[in-house]
Amino acid sequence: MTQYTPQDKVPLPPADAKVFTTACDYCIVACGYKAYVWPEGTEGGPKANENALGLNFPTGVLGGWVSPNQHNIVSVDGRPHHAVVVPDFQSTVVNKGGNHSIRGGTLALKCYNANGPTKDRLQYPQIRVNGKLTPVDWDTALEVMAAVSKHVLEKYGESAWAMKTYSYEFWENTYAITKLAFGAIGTPAFSVHDKPSMGSDTGGVDDAGIITFSASYQDWAEADVLFISGTDPFETKTIVFTSWIMGGPKLIYALPRRTAGVAYAEANGGLFLQVTPGTDTLLHLAINRIILENGWEDKEFVEKWIASSWDVDAGMGRGPRNTPWQWRTTWGQFSADYESYKKWLLEYEPAQLENAAKVTGVPTEKIRQAAEMLTGAGSSRPKASFAFEKGNYWSNNYLNTASFAAMGLLCGAGNRPGQVISRMGGHQRGWMGGPGYPMDKSPEKLPGRRKIQLDLDRWTAAGNVRFVWVVGTTWTAAMAASQELANSFRKLTVENPNQIKSTNKQDIINALIARVDSGGMVVVDSDIYPVEPINTEFADIVLPAAAWGEHDATRANGERRLRLYSKFYDPPGEAKPDWWAIAKFAKKMGFSGWDWENDNDVFEEAARFSRGGVLDYYALVWYARNNGLRGHEVLRELGTQGIQTPIRWVNGKMEGTARLHDSTLQLDSPQGPTVHAKWLTHFDSHSGKALLLKSPWELWSDFYERVTPDPAKGEFWLSTGRINEIWQSAFDDVRKPYIKQRWPDTWVEIHPDDAAQYGIESGDVVRMFSDDIQVQTGGWVRVKGYKFTDLVKAGHIQSGKGEAIAVAIVSEDVRPGALFTNFLHPASPANSLVHRVPDPFANVHRFKLGKAQIEKIGESPYKKSLDEMTFKPRTVTFTG
Amino acid sequence: MTTNACDPKATLTRRQFLFLSGAALVTLATPKFLQGVPGAEALSLQQAGYPRTKVGQLSALKAGQPVAFQYPFDHPNCANFIYKLGVPAAGGIGPAQDVVAFNSLCPHQGGPLSGRLNTEHQVLGPCPLHLSTFDLTRHGMVISGHATEGLPQIVLELSGDDIYATGVMGLVYGFHNNLAEPNG
Ligand code: SF4
Ligand code: FES
Repeated sequence: MTQYTPQDKVPLPPADAKVFTTACDYCIVACGYKAYVWPEGTEGGPKANENALGLNFPTGVLGGWVSPNQHNIVSVDGRPHHAVVVPDFQSTVVNKGGNHSIRGGTLALKCYNANGPTKDRLQYPQIRVNGKLTPVDWDTALEVMAAVSKHVLEKYGESAWAMKTYSYEFWENTYAITKLAFGAIGTPAFSVHDKPSMGSDTGGVDDAGIITFSASYQDWAEADVLFISGTDPFETKTIVFTSWIMGGPKLIYALPRRTAGVAYAEANGGLFLQVTPGTDTLLHLAINRIILENGWEDKEFVEKWIASSWDVDAGMGRGPRNTPWQWRTTWGQFSADYESYKKWLLEYEPAQLENAAKVTGVPTEKIRQAAEMLTGAGSSRPKASFAFEKGNYWSNNYLNTASFAAMGLLCGAGNRPGQVISRMGGHQRGWMGGPGYPMDKSPEKLPGRRKIQLDLDRWTAAGNVRFVWVVGTTWTAAMAASQELANSFRKLTVENPNQIKSTNKQDIINALIARVDSGGMVVVDSDIYPVEPINTEFADIVLPAAAWGEHDATRANGERRLRLYSKFYDPPGEAKPDWWAIAKFAKKMGFSGWDWENDNDVFEEAARFSRGGVLDYYALVWYARNNGLRGHEVLRELGTQGIQTPIRWVNGKMEGTARLHDSTLQLDSPQGPTVHAKWLTHFDSHSGKALLLKSPWELWSDFYERVTPDPAKGEFWLSTGRINEIWQSAFDDVRKPYIKQRWPDTWVEIHPDDAAQYGIESGDVVRMFSDDIQVQTGGWVRVKGYKFTDLVKAGHIQSGKGEAIAVAIVSEDVRPGALFTNFLHPASPANSLVHRVPDPFANVHRFKLGKAQIEKIGESPYKKSLDEMTFKPRTVTFTG
Repeated sequence: MTTNACDPKATLTRRQFLFLSGAALVTLATPKFLQGVPGAEALSLQQAGYPRTKVGQLSALKAGQPVAFQYPFDHPNCANFIYKLGVPAAGGIGPAQDVVAFNSLCPHQGGPLSGRLNTEHQVLGPCPLHLSTFDLTRHGMVISGHATEGLPQIVLELSGDDIYATGVMGLVYGFHNNLAEPNG
């Protein structure tokens, strides 16, 4: 790795540099950026008329600037060019005034530079011959894939042909992916990067009638009090915090770990509820109970917007078979109207304050204070909003989300400015599904013969997949019990006797078909870098993808704001956008309708699938076509401002939609191609009202007890998450010398009391390990029960092993008995210590509830050196 | 990436030197703390164009009481502080290697960091604008926050009791070149 050397100057773009608008490639916020590109050999000057930025240097505070890490050398039409990538300091939306995080602020460093740290980008299709990846041409790679795929589909059926892909890497690509997987092939063996199945992420909120990205960033700013569950936006969606939340609402954080955002909240009249991992449901229920006991709920709102018993049973509540709603409610365990919810909760012992305080670890006064802050405790009602993320729904998925939604609804939130219930998001919204998931083909059924989206990890581990195309995800490392999953992969791939031994195409096909027929699996991986272990070890065929800035592409952010991400330089070698590879493969398979010539063709075709949905951009493409324009060009005109979906056609113009379920939104009759979904102005339920859902702890407590660490055995909770300075698996960050200096390795935070007991100091290298990681196996058609205990009885649970290595950071910010580590560092996948028993209602993993023992195994170089990494607290506040 | 080792523009004119400090010596020696650090050579060459300016006296420094100085220009963005941290620091001078100096504008968007020293942890910040914090014992590295470079560290040298600034590691906020005269 190149050592970081701070620079003391940066080239400025000359006045005639080309300017492209784009948005950040990383987190959900999608800050607006501009890329300035010009040939090597010239530079702009410091006067406003001498540079394309129009800035006089030196600039002043908040005046726009270029830092040395915002510059790189790229190739344009094969010739070296300077590229400066800076936040749009003229922006009035999202990152107002050019605000940015360290992640997006260093975007320029991610660009492919043949002489820089990104020089290891994948450039050519490769096939593993005699264990070594060997370059081949696109036709050879895709013909081999097609031949093996045809064999698999014919002999083993669609569910043996799988895809595991990202859900975020631009609408053009994800549309192509679903058109292939669900349309042309029709496979149920499919899932996206962060879950094992295509089930809902946030079932309890969905079933309450709330669409998860309903809010605008303005809503967070307008709230008086904001309850944030399971995330710190400062760390992980930074600009939402620094541009919209700071200086706005009082903050209530429910998190197991104190973060920089929490420190800010506490210093500014906020409240920190430091929950024991996995107990949020009881925290929510206790707050809800206090609210109801005191009559602090928003009665007017409840009267008007909460479903009555009649509404609860109406429409799809008792509708056709196989709706998720139906099977979740058949047992009558969740659905309630206001009266029955209140009755249930007031009688429900686990929600009683003292019990909740004991289980959650949050003192009774703080729980009470939260209820008071959210409601005004009988005096004037503040505008309360509710934001949540993965700490909430990746632990006790259904019950946490259901009880959270109920809390927001009781406080009158969900359908008005400044009073919203919404996810904050992780990655951007790059999923544009074409044809839908073929549920009828899913082999997985819950009791009552109710189909559920297939758990692809379990399906693969059981040897049911013969061919899989992995697109832009580490897969094994990103999923739970990752070490066990990688072992399954190894058996099915590299340890199978049928390996490619020659570069002759027919020999390759024969070897892979022999693999398939002997019970093995063929793996294709599309990515931008070498990634351990999926393409360095497992993949037979590796395809190079073009990335951000290398082709024109689109996607939306956490307030549904759609932008064009402009191409501004050449992709490396023969790397192509994933949609291109998919279309070419589809043609080799003999499928028709894959004749796209460019990114825009895909964007325009996909538009009709968006119609009537939350990301509806059909009106934009309709307008473009009627005026002889291209959809992408219309979007390019909108620059970093973009437009919020659903896009409506109103009085001869495109109009964006600030928030969903907006009871203040005035709608005329639909014009042009516009469709007015009910949820624009109402909740997303049959009646248009929101549903209060019960969330009985017993549905979860058996699993929770089983995975709760035993301190007597030296076990800790292991929670994982993101940290501000690193994006995802650090795939770009490990190639940014500046970031690498800050975080040269993965880390784990441990409380000083625990550290002392194990002789651990900051900078020591520690091993986290467990041989008690729960893994669910087999059991595709379940006859009885959906609880953990039922799975154990039926013999569907095994114990596995996991291990990860990290640099210790001793910190008061974590709870005693709980560790916190990076969720997906390539060198040390912490997910190996996470149980692979998905939530029964949604088939999503409980990533936040790992467990581990810990031991010191040495000292890192950073313990003594002052040049890399720092162990200072992240929660320092200014008291002067 | 560019290095400006041979860039003629990186050398200040004699007039500028005199204007700034009266000092006209340029050192080409690698500062002691950089010896053995990969990348140090490029860095020391980079420092070659800087003036050598007396900015304080070791005996006058007190822990927790930063001393202000301007460098390399008399421009609002070039406001710096010398800190006596009480613990050894990267680039530190003095018998305890605990004396360091940094620019005081946040390299995120220029927020004012002056006066925001946390003496317990040797941390500067949080920045009043967006809460970035910087580790003064580790070259001004970002601890938590948004700056796309560390806090620019002023390279110091000790001559007897006199402290000299001899260079800047990192680009001063708002500048495109530390050695381009602001009003020139
Ligand atoms: S907050 Fe998110 S979108 Fe904005 S610059 Fe940072 S990583 Fe990019
Ligand atoms: S200006 Fe200092 S954190 Fe933004």
